[in-house]
Amino acid sequence: MGLIDLDHVSRWYGSQRALCDVSLHLEPGRIGLLGPNGAGKSTLLKILLGLLEPSSGGGTILGHDLRRDGTLLRRAIGYMPEADALVPGLRGADYVALAGELYGMPRRQARRRAHEVLSYLDLEEARYRLLEEYSTGMKQRLKLAQALVHDPRVLLLDEPTSGLDPAGREVMLSLLLTLGREHGKSLLLSTHLLGDVERVCDTVVILHEGQVLSQGHVDDLRTRRHDCYRLQIQGDPSAYLEELRLEGATVFQDNRRGQLRVAVPPGWRTRTFFALADLHGVLLRGLQRDDEDLEALFHRVIEENGHHGR
Amino acid sequence: MGASLLHYRPWRGRFRDPAWSVWPIARVGLGVVLRRKLFWGLYALALLFFLMFFFGQYLLAYADTMELPPLILRQARGGLQLDGSGVMYRNFFRLQGSMVVVVLALAGSMLMGNDFQFGSLPFYLAKPLTPRHYLVGKFLAVAVFVNLLTTVPALALFAQYGLLTSSDYFFEHADLAAGIVAYGLVLTACLSLLLLAMAGWLRRTIPLIMAWTTLFFFLRQLAFALVYILGYDARWRLIDLWNDTYLVGNACLGIEHGTVRPLPQPETYEAALVLGAVCLACLTYLNLRIRAVEIVR
Repeated sequence: MGLIDLDHVSRWYGSQRALCDVSLHLEPGRIGLLGPNGAGKSTLLKILLGLLEPSSGGGTILGHDLRRDGTLLRRAIGYMPEADALVPGLRGADYVALAGELYGMPRRQARRRAHEVLSYLDLEEARYRLLEEYSTGMKQRLKLAQALVHDPRVLLLDEPTSGLDPAGREVMLSLLLTLGREHGKSLLLSTHLLGDVERVCDTVVILHEGQVLSQGHVDDLRTRRHDCYRLQIQGDPSAYLEELRLEGATVFQDNRRGQLRVAVPPGWRTRTFFALADLHGVLLRGLQRDDEDLEALFHRVIEENGHHGR
Repeated sequence: MGASLLHYRPWRGRFRDPAWSVWPIARVGLGVVLRRKLFWGLYALALLFFLMFFFGQYLLAYADTMELPPLILRQARGGLQLDGSGVMYRNFFRLQGSMVVVVLALAGSMLMGNDFQFGSLPFYLAKPLTPRHYLVGKFLAVAVFVNLLTTVPALALFAQYGLLTSSDYFFEHADLAAGIVAYGLVLTACLSLLLLAMAGWLRRTIPLIMAWTTLFFFLRQLAFALVYILGYDARWRLIDLWNDTYLVGNACLGIEHGTVRPLPQPETYEAALVLGAVCLACLTYLNLRIRAVEIVR
């Protein structure tokens, strides 16, 4: 059974299109849902939570129909919202236990489980504090605790590292990776931070303007990266650049003062730069590898599909 | 201690029906309000009328045991209307009105306004429950407050009167007990739905208190002025919701419509229709307000 199967799902808010003909088949695993603001990630999450019906199309999550089985599928899912979503006046343990009860756990078991999960997430000492006294990092872990309290098979995580400092972010990503790798939880990580996806996920879905632009293994996406070099040249570059283009290279940046950034095709040999420079009487004063990062790749994928990124 | 040193333990158990989630929602709401000292202060104030009726009944019963002229006793009972009749309970409900309004304004902002203001709504609705369960949970919490201030003390007065006079009172006036419960239900339904709708709309305590006060004090004065000073049709009194509940409550307690003061008053069925329409409008608004659009921002 697949984790998520979507079949031509579209969603309109009046005349505004939020999702357009989205078809996905995702196996259980750690999945990153990437996209800029307004890409349709939140709408997709709402549909996956069974809280919003698609305008057309349909699908299943863990075999539960998105249109009919809202209650059942929300029980199988733990949802960590981006916003604080806290209940003022409660203490940490009460908050997580309340989440357990709302998932349908008997009260006593919910309380016991809340303490277990809070200990696992390193919030044991803070569990009797009022929620208002929690730091941002602790609030994020608390939200993860309430999503985890009923031991769901799937976690939907909406920007889980939002507002965290680098250390807090690393803790959160480690936790997610452990939950996915060692405890078999499927994760759907909705984020605009490519680093988070690269660190945690094995599959990535890129959404833009309500459409799936790209879907595949994170490693596959990485292989689509361009090998880039930063060059510092002296002399007339026009013939040299023309020759580079003929060899299949792409000049990304040229500051007209001899500094270039060049993407090269697979199998490129560094010595080609020197050979061509020698041929066209250009002095190559600097050569540094400067590969495209995942973020640049993400924006390039968007542009290649004829859209404009953020 | 880092996560790597602690072991994640799976949970295997049976989930209960989503209907069970109504009580945790109500319980948490009640807990949040009951922890406030301000609430207890207001509740103590609200019980002053109850204490007045309670000790009034007690003193009259005590006076019965003394050798006072029967005429004085009759006049005391009649004047104070502490005679165990429907009018006594009607007067009690009416006097409780102002404190109920104040306590509910405070409770409403904490019970539901906080959920909108602090973003707790996604926490609730992303669970395997429907908006209906959420609303019923909140309704239950407000209903507890309404009944703590009205129905429960009124039933306590009913029990006290029966104990101080004769046990026959319980059997002969069982319809009064039912009437008290019915009056309480009318108040519970109208005030709870109205409060939830307004708390969902206004979210913050001060605007809620202002709007609530406008609804129950300003409109009351306006209705009074329109009908009794400017001579407009009696139906203008229908904009005074507290008077509407009062008219329906009179019917519940078996009090004749013609004896209700001041006159003129709209018909009871008209008041009931207005209350029904208000409840329906509140339910519709709440349903729209907590749709899934609110869940993921």
